[in-house]
Amino acid sequence: MKLQHTLGGLEGLDPVQPEFRVFVEPWEERIFGIHTAMMALSPQLNLPQTSSTFSTVWTWADLRKGAEAMNPFDYFKYRYYEKWLGGISGYFVANGYITQAEIDARTDEYLADPAKPLPSGGTPDVDDRIHTYLMDGDSPWHQWADKPRFAVGDIVLVGDPPTVEHTRLPGYLRNKVGVVETVYDDAFSYLCSTGPDGIGPAMPVYCVKFDPQHLWPGNAEPGFSIYADLFDAYLRPVVDRAAA
Amino acid sequence: MTDRFAYPQDREARNAARVRALEALLIEKGVITDQTVDKVMQTFATEMGPFNGAKLVARAWIDDVFKALLVTDTMAAVAQLGLPTGAAGAEGEHMRAVANTPQVHNLIICTLCSCYPWPVLGLPPYWYKDPSFRARAAREPRAVLKEFGLEVDPAKEIRTWDSSAQIRWFVVPERPDGTQGMSEDDLAKLVTPEAMMGVAVALPQAA
Repeated sequence: MKLQHTLGGLEGLDPVQPEFRVFVEPWEERIFGIHTAMMALSPQLNLPQTSSTFSTVWTWADLRKGAEAMNPFDYFKYRYYEKWLGGISGYFVANGYITQAEIDARTDEYLADPAKPLPSGGTPDVDDRIHTYLMDGDSPWHQWADKPRFAVGDIVLVGDPPTVEHTRLPGYLRNKVGVVETVYDDAFSYLCSTGPDGIGPAMPVYCVKFDPQHLWPGNAEPGFSIYADLFDAYLRPVVDRAAA
Repeated sequence: MTDRFAYPQDREARNAARVRALEALLIEKGVITDQTVDKVMQTFATEMGPFNGAKLVARAWIDDVFKALLVTDTMAAVAQLGLPTGAAGAEGEHMRAVANTPQVHNLIICTLCSCYPWPVLGLPPYWYKDPSFRARAAREPRAVLKEFGLEVDPAKEIRTWDSSAQIRWFVVPERPDGTQGMSEDDLAKLVTPEAMMGVAVALPQAA
């Protein structure tokens, strides 16, 4: 379990920063655009082949794994898109698209001459595919013939599977009891297998309601409820609790 | 001992140079084109953004049947409004709207990362990605909303929704008082991204 997995409810933090901008430095747009292009050009998608040389998988899961693997102090230290820049540059080096020496040398060039223009290149089919991806998305929905294990109103116990490199189960909900508020239609897959954490293949997803007083006894505000969307693999029938 | 919180003096210049170096190399190696990043940003300026969400909310304010559909079958409501194709695109393939009422105030968070409904809200503002916001909104939403300048009546229930799977959430704020007779387009102008995430309410009518 990493700090990044269990941010929800963490105490002792500063006031929030009502910063309404999406990008606080002009360079941040560039890394956002690169990330979006990588997702759109990732080869597992059912989209037309293009002239792009991008040939390895990149999804949100890869970006999230990078953030979850960070030293937690670095996670708090770096601004949002600084983390993206580090993770994405590292990915391109690790997968052999560029070398560390190339990016270091080029960084020094642009540091010395920030106005130096970008090179030209590329064909429109690449950008057409990226636009198609943004318009169509990449739905994780799958048909599901079986009856979901849980129904609205069922009391469920949240599991506590090992987190290896990635999870979609917030730490503050582990081993806690909630009530199913919604059973979403059919099933949803996840972007990758999370191994012993348990998600990846299509499975039902539920919205589960939790009482903050149960999550943080005596240490949560009154008069509110918290809900989370949880994959089937993360939930246990509540009878498991008595047997445990 | 290293000072883990020391930043280099030229932090932003170095970040800017590094991202430009990366973009230049990716163009040269044929990964992306010299148009890619600008075109992505153009899509978020024109086709996927809070202007779509504001239209959904404005329609919900003037049409109770549409509002009911928006909260019970969000994707059907989005399809009905004739928004651009991308209104059900990336990061919005499966969305769910929750409506504020005199009794309930809704707040959307993502404690694990920064899940956000791109097609109807565009890209997440910095406050949404702030670890302090993400941590604290789960346990003390009223205190957090107060820091945004929003005092929620203690008699009102707050519902906080943590976007931990693949559903993307947004809030239908309440229609402000004094907006009777306003056109749908003018109503849409009162709806901010913050109101559609629950850290603000829709703006009152401009004087």
